[in-house]
Amino acid sequence: MKRAITIEPITRIEGHARIRIDLDESGRVSDARVEITALRGFEQFVIGRPAEEIPRIVTRICGICPWMHHLAAVKAIDGCFGVSPPPAGNLLRELAQVLAHIHDKILHFFFLAAPDFVLGPESDYSVRNVMGLVRSEPELAARVVRMRQLALAMLERFAGKAIHPVAGVVGGFARPMDAGEQRDLLADGQVLLDFACQSLAFAKERIFSRFVEEMLSLGSVTTGFLGTVDAQGSLRLYDGLLRLMDPGGGLVEFPVEEYDQFLAEHVEPWSYAKMVYARSWGEGISLDSSQPRGIYRANTLARINVCDHIATPRAQEELEAFRELFGRPAQGTLLYHWARLIELVYACERTLELLADERIVEPLVHHVVEPGAGRGIGHVEAPRGTLLHEYATDGNGCITRANLIVGTTHNVAPMQLCVRQAADRLIGNGAADEEILNRIEMAVRAYDP
Amino acid sequence: MCLAVPLQVVEVITGSDELLDPGVALVAGDGIRREVRLEMVDRIPAVGEYVIIHAGFAIRTLTEEEAEYNLSLMRRMAEVLEEEGRLPGEPECS
Repeated sequence: MKRAITIEPITRIEGHARIRIDLDESGRVSDARVEITALRGFEQFVIGRPAEEIPRIVTRICGICPWMHHLAAVKAIDGCFGVSPPPAGNLLRELAQVLAHIHDKILHFFFLAAPDFVLGPESDYSVRNVMGLVRSEPELAARVVRMRQLALAMLERFAGKAIHPVAGVVGGFARPMDAGEQRDLLADGQVLLDFACQSLAFAKERIFSRFVEEMLSLGSVTTGFLGTVDAQGSLRLYDGLLRLMDPGGGLVEFPVEEYDQFLAEHVEPWSYAKMVYARSWGEGISLDSSQPRGIYRANTLARINVCDHIATPRAQEELEAFRELFGRPAQGTLLYHWARLIELVYACERTLELLADERIVEPLVHHVVEPGAGRGIGHVEAPRGTLLHEYATDGNGCITRANLIVGTTHNVAPMQLCVRQAADRLIGNGAADEEILNRIEMAVRAYDP
Repeated sequence: MCLAVPLQVVEVITGSDELLDPGVALVAGDGIRREVRLEMVDRIPAVGEYVIIHAGFAIRTLTEEEAEYNLSLMRRMAEVLEEEGRLPGEPECS
């Protein structure tokens, strides 16, 4: 008998995503899809509004990662008005961004992903949540909560409220940092770095080592990758060149202003969902799991794959160890978690680097801005992937056109492949128990949609 | 894009430990009523305040005033789509 299995809500991704698996008469998987639900309309809504408002408005709508949208928007409007921030303005913006990354990575790894691994995907869902983690690792859980709070407190210390960021202003940053704040933040940053290194050591010893086979096989697909690097090919989160890697490891680099020559948007008739594919490979897009075309991934593993190195010592050491084990590019879907912790170490080291740069306390934090006609594209590497805001303005500095590509958009197409792969591998003869369904969810959770 | 729709807190059930087990909140909005965990929230909400939820966790608490403003922006966004003849709420990628 034909039937459909719907996994809804995806245990810890409630409200965002739904997995649908269709089985044929013989109980084999005939189709598997991830449907991501959200409301579109931001692009139309902002038309006619003064451009300076956009970085503040976007954080009230895309409030899951407000700092990422805030900064991508403010960078795009810089471009519309033809202004570049002074050094302190850029340093403060980047510091806010890496701290927001730290907070997000702690949340994702320890609260959303780790329970699967610490307690195992076969354990009952009623304990396979964060309270299960608290019971089995109480000291770690307490430290995790404190560290996440510390990252938030550091951000609020110099950038104001973390809920609706307003500190990024067109032309720079709202207020300078003083030497006292710099000193305190350096001390706190060291605490975060120690925690990040211990977290990765804990995960490698206690978690990843038990799941190596699973990490390489579950939801494993072969795709290209997208991330951001500097002129030396080092990992960057705040700015740099986009780098697109094809599935064979070949690289192209381009400034974000040229993104539409390398990436193209596509809508599948069954989903209304915007997907993005690699236009520059010249093969179009195909979600056929036996022969996918045009598909690349973004988010942590992608960034770790496309960079040649990481310019901070501890993260570089971890990158080398990772490549030793998994090669480059690493394709295993669950390796996103490992890559996430390498990025956590990088973000903490980068926090210290930024704070050690004496220019960060310079009083000139923004330039005066003349609103006017122009076009600007701003991008940052957000926790879920490359985030891109593009705007055009008229002579009064009001928005005439807007386009957003958000992190998860890049991963919508590859998530389809991963779920199909996991479902094909795990469901035989129509048998799909709780453990199997949870394993399929794990393939999606790795992308943190 | 992932919309951060604020949901109003109708009840807070305190847990056993302020840090490790802060409990859960019951939230309601748009016909939805559900329990959300409070381990990750920036500030424990009071009844009547709003929270933004990600993956089953409340991640941010908003005052009523802040939430009303956000909701009014979202409503206007939905109206723009309706004016263009496109119904909001269709599956979309975020």
